[in-house]
Amino acid sequence: MTYHLLSIVLFTPLAGALVLLFVPRAQVDAIRWIANAFALAGFVVSLPLWNFDVQAAQWHFVEKAEWIPSIGATYYLGVDGFSILLILLTTLMGFISVLSSWEAITDRVKEYYIVLLVLQTGMLGAFMSLDFLLFFLFWEVMLVPMYFVIGIWGGGRRLYSAIKFFLYTLVGSVVMLLGILALYFYNHTVTGVYTFDVTQFQQLAVPFNIQRWVFLAFFLGFAIKVPMFPFHTWLPDAHTDAPTAGSVILAAVLLKMGTYGFIRFSLPILPEASHYFVPLIVWLSVIGIVYGALVALAQTDWKRLVAYSSVSHMGMVMLGMFALTPVALTGSIVQQLNHGISTGALFLIVGIVYERRHTREISDYGGLSKVMPVFAVVFLIMTLSSIGLPALNGFIGELLILAGVFVVNKLWAAVAASGIVLGAAYMLWLYQRTMFGTVDKPENAKLTDLNLREFATFAPLIALAVWIGIYPAPLLRRLDTSVARVITRVNSVYGPALAKSNCTTPTAPAITRPPAPTPGAPSLDLTGFAACADEAAPKKPGGK
Amino acid sequence: MMPLGFTRLDFYYLLPELIVTAGAVALLGGDVLLARGRHRLLTWVGLAFLGAAAVALAFISGREGTVAQGMYSVDGFAVFFKLLFLVAAALTILMSHRYLDVEGARPGEYYFLVLCATLGMMVMAAGVDLVTLFIGLETMAVSFYILVGYIKPSRRSNEASIKYFLLGTFSLGLLLYGMSLLYGLTGSTELRTIATTLAGGRGGPLLALAVMLLVAGMGFKIAAVPFHAWAPDVYEGAPTPITAFISVGSKAASFAMLLRIFFEGLPAFRMDGLGTIFGQPLGWTYFFYVLSIVSMTLGNLAALTQNNLKRMLAYSSIAHAGYLLIGIVAATPRGVMAALVYLMVYTFMQLGAFAIVVLMRRQDVIGDELKDLSGLSVRQPAAAVAMLIFMLSLGGIPPTAGFMGKFSLFAAAIESGYVGLAIIGVLNSAISLYYYVRVVVYMWVRREEAAAPPVVMSRALALVLIVAVAGTLVLGVYPRALFDLAQASASTLGRADQALGLLR
Amino acid sequence: MLDAIAFYTLAALILAFAIAVITARNPVHSVVFLVINFLAVAIVYIVLGAEFLAMIQVLVYAGGIVVLYLFVVMLVNLKRGPEAHQDPRRQTGAGVGLAVAVLAELTAILAYTGRNPLPAVVPAASARGPGGNTEQLGWLLYTTYLIPFEVASMLLLVAMIGAIVLARKVD
Repeated sequence: MTYHLLSIVLFTPLAGALVLLFVPRAQVDAIRWIANAFALAGFVVSLPLWNFDVQAAQWHFVEKAEWIPSIGATYYLGVDGFSILLILLTTLMGFISVLSSWEAITDRVKEYYIVLLVLQTGMLGAFMSLDFLLFFLFWEVMLVPMYFVIGIWGGGRRLYSAIKFFLYTLVGSVVMLLGILALYFYNHTVTGVYTFDVTQFQQLAVPFNIQRWVFLAFFLGFAIKVPMFPFHTWLPDAHTDAPTAGSVILAAVLLKMGTYGFIRFSLPILPEASHYFVPLIVWLSVIGIVYGALVALAQTDWKRLVAYSSVSHMGMVMLGMFALTPVALTGSIVQQLNHGISTGALFLIVGIVYERRHTREISDYGGLSKVMPVFAVVFLIMTLSSIGLPALNGFIGELLILAGVFVVNKLWAAVAASGIVLGAAYMLWLYQRTMFGTVDKPENAKLTDLNLREFATFAPLIALAVWIGIYPAPLLRRLDTSVARVITRVNSVYGPALAKSNCTTPTAPAITRPPAPTPGAPSLDLTGFAACADEAAPKKPGGK
Repeated sequence: MMPLGFTRLDFYYLLPELIVTAGAVALLGGDVLLARGRHRLLTWVGLAFLGAAAVALAFISGREGTVAQGMYSVDGFAVFFKLLFLVAAALTILMSHRYLDVEGARPGEYYFLVLCATLGMMVMAAGVDLVTLFIGLETMAVSFYILVGYIKPSRRSNEASIKYFLLGTFSLGLLLYGMSLLYGLTGSTELRTIATTLAGGRGGPLLALAVMLLVAGMGFKIAAVPFHAWAPDVYEGAPTPITAFISVGSKAASFAMLLRIFFEGLPAFRMDGLGTIFGQPLGWTYFFYVLSIVSMTLGNLAALTQNNLKRMLAYSSIAHAGYLLIGIVAATPRGVMAALVYLMVYTFMQLGAFAIVVLMRRQDVIGDELKDLSGLSVRQPAAAVAMLIFMLSLGGIPPTAGFMGKFSLFAAAIESGYVGLAIIGVLNSAISLYYYVRVVVYMWVRREEAAAPPVVMSRALALVLIVAVAGTLVLGVYPRALFDLAQASASTLGRADQALGLLR
Repeated sequence: MLDAIAFYTLAALILAFAIAVITARNPVHSVVFLVINFLAVAIVYIVLGAEFLAMIQVLVYAGGIVVLYLFVVMLVNLKRGPEAHQDPRRQTGAGVGLAVAVLAELTAILAYTGRNPLPAVVPAASARGPGGNTEQLGWLLYTTYLIPFEVASMLLLVAMIGAIVLARKVD
């Protein structure tokens, strides 16, 4: 904590961007090596974040410095388990996307890598900030680099998609700003202090009528990012027209900012409003799951299909989140990470064939497994991960979500399960159309398989998919305190079950143990928040 | 008993204005005396005088009070604005250095007029008496009437000058009528006396009329809708550095004057006292509320369709007047502070944007159309990056200063309860980014026109860009100094009411 | 009561002649209407008790500025110019007579003020004292309103230079 780890992680990509400013634009190879080196360094320096005190229910690696005292804004960084995992995902996907651009980007290479590194800093900053103004600053900083990535180095109707993404997200964010300001001034009337400190807001008791409007303001900002139906229309265009690395970062990280916002800000600060709007959000999520899946089923463009699968998956994530139970919330977070891994990988996969064939039409492909076997295996693993096959990461997330949601409302769980089925449908059908069958197009016969660099972009993702699928305990353990902190804030309204003050019996029926775990996976340790402290001690944790 | 007439004390506190005046006259004389071809020296002479005035300003800052029989105020508010004007004037002079050569205009009288305009602005910021304010306003306005028409071979320049003169004189007449009504109602032209005379009393229809006339007159100067009609044509036709100076200096000075008149002269009539409208009590905040909304909205909507860069920036500046008025409507110290912050920030980004337009002006190319910017990222990457920063700042995207400014304004609006206004403001901000990003698209995505003459950046213009970019980025990431300064300055408004005593 | 009648009559005249200025087709007619307008304003000043301003109005506006306007009109040689009038000699007589009358007035005014010496010290806020408001105006201009006065001098300089700038030939 004294060696400013978070600031180092945050500013490493920016340092890389600044270094690249001074490299002559003609030296393309040097630029590529430097950019990749800094991206890899960014990932490596973030690895120490994995080791933190899992049991401590506090903010870790905190850094606080004065920024604008006259309005109460501070340079305040801090993380908990949830944001640490997202930061690790960001640095990893950042490196992977930089690596995957090696041959894909040939024009204005210097600007491209500078833009990607600046984008990286923006995303990291948003995950780390515990000061609302600082958070907002980083949130908006992401918009411009992403606009450039899509608008300059994209394809198709890139300018249209880029400006659509930009303005759509911007409108959401500026409305969110008003919500932030409302909280800021309300906090002043209660405490007499002007501050943007998020941890202060999380302890504030905000009256319901204010909560409702602030929730809606935040909702607009975050829901557009997630994206939730009906605010999702920017996503297919942006994803399809962005270059591969852009799509990967967009899907893997940027979409998580929306869900991060809900979990970090909306739920803990506005608990009553969150409860009030649960039906709205659940319905939108459910529609998103089914609608996204059905539209994906109808797609003929490979990349667009994956984009709509994102809508469907994020709908599942939101459903789990707003079931407001610890199990479902844990599943939601895990699924966020999974989505980042699997959908990021799927976009990389599309990128691979696009670089070779320059077409994204599914019908232009077929029988590729004969020509590119390694590629086929990678694609299969990621497809199964996306579908949620047991032994891969998707299963863990979907299982937890369904388990948590089922307890709250069986209908929602049923619809969500149908989404899983549809997911299997479009993904498997995609796989069949592109990889199986005969190689009836002569261009496909000449395709080369994955080279070492391309395989290197997939290797970490495959490893993670398998590891989380088989041994998710370390991951889940790191989420305990974060989930508990959120649920105690949100669910304390329901009943005293999770409140530490009521320690005799667990009274809330909403919390149950999950079904028996699959063989090889240890049972989840839920004692930390299903009961209270004095009950937890005698129970032995199921696994470590 | 107060000594009559001008004392040594007044001389001391007026030093910045005196230096500027001396500079103006020196430039005029230098123009006559200097040999042909040495006129470029005048730029640096002008800058030297402006720098000296800024130094003098530093000496007198920190005091509060009035001098010269209560005509003139020395307080943080005035010092803040004077600093702004000096910076704007310096950057304008630097921008004009090569521009005048390209246009074939003579620099001597030009710089003289620029310094006289600065003098007028400084008087507008510091005056606490209606007469002083009006004289300052006239000085600035007349200087600008002439400067706008300076490029005589250009028909657009002539037309812009005539339009500005006619519309300006008419609206100043309205303003003067309002001022004379105020005098008639209170028997004094001093703002503080007006405030105390009118305090507690109902205004009556004459006061309402006076306020409306004042709003109309000042509305013209800040280019708020519906008094904005002069702005697009004048901005387009005037020499580009003058356009920049008008859009920054004239607007800031007019806002200073507006803040003085309404906050020091008519504070009691903020929310009520002027009558009723639709059953609600009417105060002058209402007028600015309406002006703010229509300015923001119409300014942004009109800018969406512009293809001429200067016209687009004119409409955007109309919209910015709307944003600034939000701070006035909020009418709290935070609101005034937000307006001050935004004006300072606006100086850097607007001057920077116009500097790029100046850059595009070269032999045979007027260069103020959007399509002239095509491919700038390849031809002059530094300029393209600078313009990108200015466009993002004008749109209010972090980490630029424009975001900090807009943030302050919206915070002030929410604090005072004007949530609707804040929502309109943020939505307009979002809309405005469409046309700001369009500029970026031209620079970065479109290819250069074939056979376009090369773009050459002079050192003076490079200096302007460096200062503007530095201001925009530094204030965007670390605005603490500006916020503190603006807060201190805003709090001095209306507080200095005793005459300043002896030196030290 | 008398004041009110005088004021409203004059106000009507001023407005009427102002409209006449902008609607007249002959530029010289415009200028003449402008002169009458200025004279009416001067009379309003007298009714208000500001004799100094009335005198300045007549001298500067009706005298100086209007003469300049006429010069410009003649130099520019607009159509339907001054050739329209018939008998030059009758104008000369009236002109000389008027000039003599103005001269006599001025001499009388100067003689009158010369007989009343200025007080040594004038308190800052004085009521209407002897010497008329010319004196008060002078005191005010050089003490209380000094700053606007000085800045106005810069304004005039700007106007002068501006006129030169706008009117000279492009080189």
